[in-house]
Amino acid sequence: MKHVIVFAEHRQGQTRKVTFELASEARRLAVALGGKACGVVLGSGAAQLADALKSYPLDVVYTSDDPAVDGFLLDPVVDHLEAAARAVGPSLVLIPNTISGRDVAGRLMVRLGAGLVADVVEIRVEDGSPVCVSPKLGGVLITSCALRPAEYGVVTVRPSAFAAVPSGPGAEIVQLEKSARNYPAAIERDVEEGAGELALEEAPVVIAGGRGLGGPEPFDTLLKPLAQALGGAVGASRAAADAGWVPYNLQIGQTGKTVTPKLYIAVGISGAIQHKVGMRASGTIVAINKDAAAPIAEFSDLLVVGDAFRIVPELTKLIETAKGHLS
Amino acid sequence: MKIVVTVKLVPDPNAEKRIDPQSKRLVRSGIETVLNPYDEYALEAALQLKERAGGDSRVTVFSMAPETLRETLRKALAMGADDAVLLADPGLEGSDVWATAYAMAAALRKLEFNLLIVGGLTDDSSTGAIPGALAEHLGLPCVTNARKIEIAGGGLEVERETDVGYQTVRTPLPALLTTALTFGEPRYASLKGIMGAKKKTISMTSLGDLALELPVGTSGSKTDLRSFAPPPARGKGRIVEAADGLSGGQAIFDFLAEKKLV
Repeated sequence: MKHVIVFAEHRQGQTRKVTFELASEARRLAVALGGKACGVVLGSGAAQLADALKSYPLDVVYTSDDPAVDGFLLDPVVDHLEAAARAVGPSLVLIPNTISGRDVAGRLMVRLGAGLVADVVEIRVEDGSPVCVSPKLGGVLITSCALRPAEYGVVTVRPSAFAAVPSGPGAEIVQLEKSARNYPAAIERDVEEGAGELALEEAPVVIAGGRGLGGPEPFDTLLKPLAQALGGAVGASRAAADAGWVPYNLQIGQTGKTVTPKLYIAVGISGAIQHKVGMRASGTIVAINKDAAAPIAEFSDLLVVGDAFRIVPELTKLIETAKGHLS
Repeated sequence: MKIVVTVKLVPDPNAEKRIDPQSKRLVRSGIETVLNPYDEYALEAALQLKERAGGDSRVTVFSMAPETLRETLRKALAMGADDAVLLADPGLEGSDVWATAYAMAAALRKLEFNLLIVGGLTDDSSTGAIPGALAEHLGLPCVTNARKIEIAGGGLEVERETDVGYQTVRTPLPALLTTALTFGEPRYASLKGIMGAKKKTISMTSLGDLALELPVGTSGSKTDLRSFAPPPARGKGRIVEAADGLSGGQAIFDFLAEKKLV
C-alpha cells in the first residue's frame, strides 16, 4: 500500500461533506505512505464533482460517465473502481461508511484480495502500514487494527471523522474506459425522499425526539424550529420510528444511524442501550425528560427535568433572540 | 425456490456490554447468545418467499460459529426454517472479515440454492462487508437493503432503501439479497414450531470438508487486531429540575453559552 484512493459517492454530481473529508485525509496518508492521493468519481454528473474536487489536495481524479453506473446496481461501480485501483497500483482505498459504501467495500475487498477495516474514525501510519481505529460493539470497545502488508487495503470511514481542508493545485483528470460487460441487476426506479434535508450523519447539531413527544406533530412544530435555530437536523429514537411518527431514515441507534454531532439534544428520549450506541460519541449531550431517573441521565452532560413542550419553545426563542442581536 | 439464509450468533444486543478492566475482555457472563437481529429479518423474508413460491421450496439456515453454539440455531428452525448447516472449526478462530467471507463462501458453494439472503449488518462487529464479499466470491448479483421482494418473471423485483430514498431493482436468479429493517417484523416461533424444531436437522461441516486453497483463521486474516479498550469515560453530568420559577429553556441556553455552542 503506497497510494491512497478515495471513492467519491454522489448523486448527479452532488456529494456530501464526507467526500471532501476523505480527500483531505487521503493527502495526509499519501504523504505518510510516500505515494499519490487519487479520487474516483463515476456516473452521471461525474465531471461536475471531479471539478469540485479540484479544490482538494488530490493528484489524480479518475472519472467515467458510463451510463451503466446509473442503470445497474453497483456492479459497474465495482468494475470501474477495481480498474482505477489497478491503474494506480498498490493502494489503500477509502470508502464512506454508508449503505452503498459498505456494499462496494465488501466486493472490492474480494476483487483486490485486500484486508478490510470498517467504520474507521482515525488512521495512523506505523512502520509503513495503516493502523485503523474503529468503535465496535456499539462503541463499547475502541479497536486498533493494522492492515497487514499487502498490495491493497480497503477502509470504510465514518462520516464526520475527519476534517475537510481545501487546498492544492488541482488534480489531473483521467477518463476510465467504459465497461463492455452485461450487468444483471437493473435499476428500474430511483426515488429521492426528503431531498434537501441536511444529512443526519453530517449535521453539526442533532435534535432527536422520542416516545415522550407523544405523536408525529411535535417533530415539526417543536423540534424543527429548534434545529433550524441551531443549524442542525432532526432525528428520532427507535420508539418514535416504530410508532410511524417519523421515517426510519431519521432513526438514531443500534438499528439506525450513528451520529457524532458537536451538540446532541435528546427530547423525550429515555436513553435505552439501543439509542445510546448511536449517539454516545457526540460532543455535548443535553437531555430534556420528565423523569430524573431516565437512563439518559447517566450519559448526558446536562439533563433538564421538565415539560419539553414548554422548555423547547423557550430555548428556541432564546437562541433566535441571541442570533438576532448578533446580526 | 431453494433459499439459504446466513445467520450470525451474537451477544444479546439489548444487554449492556462492558469490558472487564483487568482482563480487558468483554464480560460475557449473564449475556445470552442470540440470532443477530438483522438476520431475523432475512429469515422472515425467506419464510415469506417460501410460502409464496410454494411447491418444494425450502429454507436452509447457514451459520459459521463455534460448535458450542449449535443449539442456538434451533431458534431459526423454530421460526420455520427447514434445516440448518453449521460451519464450525477451531481453525476458523480469529478470522477477520476477509477470512470469514472466504470460508463462508466455500461452505455455501456446497449447498444447493437459487436465493441467498443475508442480514444487512451484524450487531457485534458490523463491517457490513460480508454480503458484498459473498456475492463476489459466489458470482451472484447482489441487491442489498430490500424492504419489499416480489417474485417476477423467473427473477425478483426488489424495492430497496438507499441513503436518500428507495430504488426498484430487477434481478435474475440465483441472486444474493440483504434485508432492511423496514422489511417487516420477524415472526415469533409458535409452540408447534418450537416442538417441531427439535426434530429438524442441524448438519455440521468443518474445514476438512472445504478443501480451501488459502489459509483462514488468524493466519489467513489480512488484518491484525493490535489493541482494544473502552472509550474514555463520560463524566456524569448536571441535572436541573425545571419547575415553577426556573426556566428549563434558560438553563439549557446558559449551559450552551458556557460551552460556546450558541
